[in-house]
Amino acid sequence: MQESYDVIVVGSGAGGGTSAYVLTHAGLKVLMLEAGRDYNPASETAMFNLPSAAPLRAAPTPDKPMGFYDATVDGGWELPNEPYTNAEGSEFHWWRARMLGGRTNHWGRFCLRYGPYDFKPYSRDGLGVDWPITYEDLAPWYDNVERLIGVCGANEGLENSPDSPPGLLLPPPPLRASEYFVKCGFESLGIPVATARLAILTQPYNGRPPCLYATHCFRGCAIGANFQTPTVLLPPARSTGNLQIRTRSLVYQIDVGKNGSARGVSFVDVHTGRHHSVRGKAVVLAASACESARILLNSRSGLFPQGLGNDHGLVGRYLTDSARARAAAYFPALEKLAPRNDDGVSMFHMYVPWWGYRGQARKELDFPRGYHIETFAGRVMPQMGDMDQYVDLCEAAYGSRLKEEMRSKFGTVFSFLGCGEMIPNEQSFIDLDPAVKDKWGIPALRFHWKWSEHEIRQVAHQRRTFLEVIDRLGGKPLDGTDTDGARAIIPPGNIHEVGGVRMGVSPRDSVVNSFGQTWSVKNVFVMDGGVFASHADKNPTLTIMALSWRSSAYLAEQARKGDL
Amino acid sequence: MTGPHEPRGLSRRTTLKWLAAAVMATPNYRQYRSARAQPIIYEPVSKGYGRDPDLNHPIVPWSRTMTARQLQLTAFLADLILPGTDSTPAPSALRIQDFVDEWISAPYPQQQVDRAAVLEGLRWLDAEAERRWQRGFLEVANSQQQQLLDETVAEYQTIPLEQAQQPELGAIFESVHEHFFSRFRSIVVGAYYTTQEGFRDIGYIGNVPLASYPPITEQEKTLLDTELRRLGILVR
Repeated sequence: MQESYDVIVVGSGAGGGTSAYVLTHAGLKVLMLEAGRDYNPASETAMFNLPSAAPLRAAPTPDKPMGFYDATVDGGWELPNEPYTNAEGSEFHWWRARMLGGRTNHWGRFCLRYGPYDFKPYSRDGLGVDWPITYEDLAPWYDNVERLIGVCGANEGLENSPDSPPGLLLPPPPLRASEYFVKCGFESLGIPVATARLAILTQPYNGRPPCLYATHCFRGCAIGANFQTPTVLLPPARSTGNLQIRTRSLVYQIDVGKNGSARGVSFVDVHTGRHHSVRGKAVVLAASACESARILLNSRSGLFPQGLGNDHGLVGRYLTDSARARAAAYFPALEKLAPRNDDGVSMFHMYVPWWGYRGQARKELDFPRGYHIETFAGRVMPQMGDMDQYVDLCEAAYGSRLKEEMRSKFGTVFSFLGCGEMIPNEQSFIDLDPAVKDKWGIPALRFHWKWSEHEIRQVAHQRRTFLEVIDRLGGKPLDGTDTDGARAIIPPGNIHEVGGVRMGVSPRDSVVNSFGQTWSVKNVFVMDGGVFASHADKNPTLTIMALSWRSSAYLAEQARKGDL
Repeated sequence: MTGPHEPRGLSRRTTLKWLAAAVMATPNYRQYRSARAQPIIYEPVSKGYGRDPDLNHPIVPWSRTMTARQLQLTAFLADLILPGTDSTPAPSALRIQDFVDEWISAPYPQQQVDRAAVLEGLRWLDAEAERRWQRGFLEVANSQQQQLLDETVAEYQTIPLEQAQQPELGAIFESVHEHFFSRFRSIVVGAYYTTQEGFRDIGYIGNVPLASYPPITEQEKTLLDTELRRLGILVR
């Protein structure tokens, strides 16, 4: 580690990886600090490994909460050395990864652009806030990201789900048979079905091979056929000669000089427990929405007694997550399909984009904003625990008849997951717990959470829609029949948390400007999901990357002008 | 054949701890009714594989803890649940009993709850066979084994889901065997179908590299279109 760098990037996930890529290519010397360990997908990914080769058949445990083969290292909803708390009445589950590449190693690779409405929600319905940018401002940066990482999908002219420039998307994989069946069900109800857009290669791309149509993306990808920063962004950033990465380095504070500018950051080496400081001309926080807010709140000094950027008490405010409900159903019609390979690209090949804009304009719906539906189906690799759903469908409790029935039931269960917009509210935020600290003595976060009526009603609509399509297709609901939104909504912690360091037009309404630059310290930037002013139904990763690219290009330009 | 019916490590205090853990960890624990055998005590051992295991060279760091008798009962019951056929192996041929042992010996909460249910269930089958027919479960006639299993299953299946609630601690003592059947079957079925042989049996033919992903075939489409017409979704 040198004494000083041009930019210190905190975090190596979607936001940090993009920023390091852009800044190093602009010629800036970058130090990336990652709290977790180094990680090499090429040698560490468990491609093709069978459940039977793993302890407990790879079932989830507290050590590996998403299963043994999940790519996540040292992660989960609870980290032994890094506690967080919930205020009374709140229930937020905070998923973290502690590894190079962060959560990009196991994410679903579902890549939707935010649309024009998503950036101006307040203008449309008077709720929440508008972003300080429009879709047009961000579109070229979406293009850059998609061109770099490779996204398969199709341009279908959807309302508020923008197309990409012609020729940019890779061809989508064809639908699975069960997806075709369910698609017809949705369409017969007047609900459109669209082609999924996924950061998974279906053709050779930029020296990377295409998907093998086997082994799940949650495991990561040893051949680099999907997007994760250690395979796609960090190698080219390193090859510029401008990037140094230090892992196991947990940043807890931005150090501010007497002139009010950031000097660098302080971090603890989680291996040795020793504290270090390093200097940089600029600091980019991309530690994840909540972790970046925590670092700002913990960066207290004489100049910033409430934390850096928190002069108006806005750091940690307006945290949001996806509003989700699920349901599953058994479809007898699918019993007739002969065994087929349903692996595909492991994620869904189709999805239901939000279709209710006109209904809302006609005031036919009792909630604002919308959701999309993700569907999971088919003859996917049997997992420990998953087979119970088929056992429950069988008449025989045991014996050769059970075995016989299992063959016909396998692959007939289809599940539906709604993913909806949450409107930022005053009751959902994070602050520092007054008592609890992590292993290294750094104050821990405390979560406060309340869904509003908007999300509760929307989730009830999700459930009613699921039941409608299940009924239309002659299915039998297995769970998720309760249409009471308050009971149906999945507790927050869906790993889509954004906000907390939101962008806006002035220090009175936001922590950062549209380039993620804090209003109070101009050489401190936030480039992760924290800056989201609001949270559309679309999964946030692609937008995190587009924003990070735009902000990093701005940062590089300021550096070139000597204006940091 | 009679073997050592009693597993090692008995202590009433530990049993109570186990059962308390079971109550805490199982939200939909069924309502238990009948009074039966007393539970036994089984110590968990060792630590888990940690939060950063080598995924490509996995190890199971804990020891298995079942007695020979428990393994015999497990293999026998597993084969009753998913019997072998001419074309598919029996669970015991895949050493599913060893996996059940690995599962219930693991130091994680779900596995520890299952440990209490499985070991108590196995013990109860022997004890009940002894009570009725003065011989162990493996030693009684096939018809008697079937009878006992059917009673267990019937009782398990007649409990309405709506009644499911966390029982008083004492209630678990009375009928662990009901919970036993549900959990034991789940572990066996999961273990069986997550093997290469299980994949073949149930018709999972993925996990092989492909150069391209095949679209729906004409035959599949015709079949599904027939269903869609029957449902009134397609009109032609």
